[in-house]
Amino acid sequence: MPSVLLTDSISLELGALEPWPSDVKLYQPYEVEQILLQDQANSLAVQVFLRMCGLEFQVEMRSNAEHMSPSGKLPFIKCGAFVVADLDPVVSFVSNKGINLTDHLDAAQKADMRAYMSLANNILGNAELYISWCDETVLNEVTGPRYGSVYSWPLNTLLTWRKQKQVAKKLTALGWITKTLDEVYEDVDHCCNALSERLGNHLYFFNDRCTELDAVVFGHVFTLLTTPLPDNRLASIVRSYPNLVEACQFLEKTYFQKPTAKTTDDDSDNFD
Amino acid sequence: MQTGEGNALVEKVYVDGLGRTKDDLVIKTVRELFEAGDFQQVVLKSQEVRSKLEKLGCFKNVGVFIDTSRGEDASSNGLEITFSVKELKRVLGGITTLVGNNEGSLVIKSNLPNTFGRGENLQVEYTYGTKQSKGFNGMFIKPLHNKANTILTSSFYQKNSEWVTSGYHLCEQGISLDASFDSVPLVRHNLQWEGIWRELSCQSRTTTFPVREQAGHSLKSALRHMIHFDNRDSTIFSSRGTLFQMVQELAGIGGDVGFIKHELNYQLNVPVTNDVVIQGSFQGGFMKRLNDEKLIYICDRFFLGGPHTIRGFEQRGIGPQSDNQALGAQGYWAAGLHLYTPLPFKPGQGGLGDILRTHFFVNAGNIDNFDFSDNLKESARILTDKYRLSYGMGLMLRLGTTARIELNYCVPIRSQRGDRTHHGVQVAVGVQFL
Repeated sequence: MPSVLLTDSISLELGALEPWPSDVKLYQPYEVEQILLQDQANSLAVQVFLRMCGLEFQVEMRSNAEHMSPSGKLPFIKCGAFVVADLDPVVSFVSNKGINLTDHLDAAQKADMRAYMSLANNILGNAELYISWCDETVLNEVTGPRYGSVYSWPLNTLLTWRKQKQVAKKLTALGWITKTLDEVYEDVDHCCNALSERLGNHLYFFNDRCTELDAVVFGHVFTLLTTPLPDNRLASIVRSYPNLVEACQFLEKTYFQKPTAKTTDDDSDNFD
Repeated sequence: MQTGEGNALVEKVYVDGLGRTKDDLVIKTVRELFEAGDFQQVVLKSQEVRSKLEKLGCFKNVGVFIDTSRGEDASSNGLEITFSVKELKRVLGGITTLVGNNEGSLVIKSNLPNTFGRGENLQVEYTYGTKQSKGFNGMFIKPLHNKANTILTSSFYQKNSEWVTSGYHLCEQGISLDASFDSVPLVRHNLQWEGIWRELSCQSRTTTFPVREQAGHSLKSALRHMIHFDNRDSTIFSSRGTLFQMVQELAGIGGDVGFIKHELNYQLNVPVTNDVVIQGSFQGGFMKRLNDEKLIYICDRFFLGGPHTIRGFEQRGIGPQSDNQALGAQGYWAAGLHLYTPLPFKPGQGGLGDILRTHFFVNAGNIDNFDFSDNLKESARILTDKYRLSYGMGLMLRLGTTARIELNYCVPIRSQRGDRTHHGVQVAVGVQFL
């Protein structure tokens, strides 16, 4: 699905006029049997961001969430008549309603935050894609069965194969396809190192208050730590930066173990 | 040549010009000539055989030549008949245009007629429509040349279609197997199996959420039985005759789509005077979910409204809607009463006047997710409750022998909340009309 800039901005503008409704829903694939690394990371990032803003929402799991999304990205939220997918559009949608987390930052810090966000999304996000779709073992043992789990034969193999081609094309454009697994691990290590240095011994990245960057890093770190893979080197790399892990655990405790939002599915207990 | 009553005998039949066509098929077709007893029968039978040969799908043209029999063992009243045939080329191709319901398309086609010598046809087609509906299909047709005119068809296809009034785009890829045959003359049956992979995607951000929820992939495997009876004198401006079509579909043998669907189409034409015709028509359909595990998607449902069905409403403008986008329903009926007359004072008779008609109509119908009870009276009330009604008049122009253009002034007089009515002039091009 193409994302059209004009309708995008119109929908955001119109959406700004209304207050946050109580029936907002966040759509994502089934958490236990379907969702993949990158989508899980993004979904967690959006969820924790909305909770940081104190906005109420419910999580809905749909097997066809990917196809329902207006841009094909996950997760997406439905707020009144508007559907907004991915973290950045959600952030601007929310800030149009006068809510944002970056008021306490000065211009230089904002630029810094943007840079770190794109670092985290590019390196960790692409690494998650690479591991899921380009590593034979993971593809055959985890990604394939999970992605195809909601389809009947022969669609499950066909669609997995098609998605794999799409991802490979994307990673080729980004220059990732030629990397070896070790190079990917090395990139992840560099990225975590940079993030860890920025975080220092704080719990938040900037001014001891939450920002979008905290949400993004939480999404990736939590996903990498908790998702079992045949080769758990990714988790061990992340674990070697204790301050990142600690911040992640802190955010989880603060935002997910308080009953601020209801989840519609009982499967949400794997945050515990 | 002297021929008396009852003493002509066909002794030899030559078929000239045979190439790849198999002998057994030709022999089977011409065999009945030997049964002719007198010269009149010989002439009649040879015409019959000629038209049969033409219908085999093997020859471009067929000529007949009757002569007295020659040679040593020829008897005095013996005849020999020569058919000179010209076989179709091995490869044919072409570009044609096609008019469907409110859509025109360009078709690029190539086929191998008489592929294996028994009238088979292997064809490939690529379609490009005005509504960005691209598609291709490949088909292999095998006629069995038996009494019931059985034809076996297997095909695979891809079809793209845009449904603006419901806000979705549909891409279908499928394979189908079909056997069609006559049970009694004019009654044609089709038995089909179809396996389709469908991808439904939203057309824009404004696509309504109930449609968005159905986006994604689905797999349908369905068995279908169709009956078709048509004794009308012409398909477009018929002056007499009946059309009857019925489709029964069972989806859910594999795949994730499951339903039972019945649909009926009936049309009766009664001439009042020489060129004034009254036409009554009825369409109806009903579908039910097979079980709780299998789903019915929006592209399986029925829709109603528009210049091809109930005039005076927008396309798909009747029935359940959300944000002005049609969601479809699981049951409908529609009926029409039409009066066709030539143009007043019959201008252009014998020319343009013959492809024009004036047309008065009353259309009625209803569509909803009907939930029938055992009580017959109650069920009838559900069907007729909230029915829609419109009337109007217009001008029709025949395009070739299969399509027509209608220009109508329509007045909807009964509609329900949420319906999108269209009071005024409505134009439609199409093949099938209510």
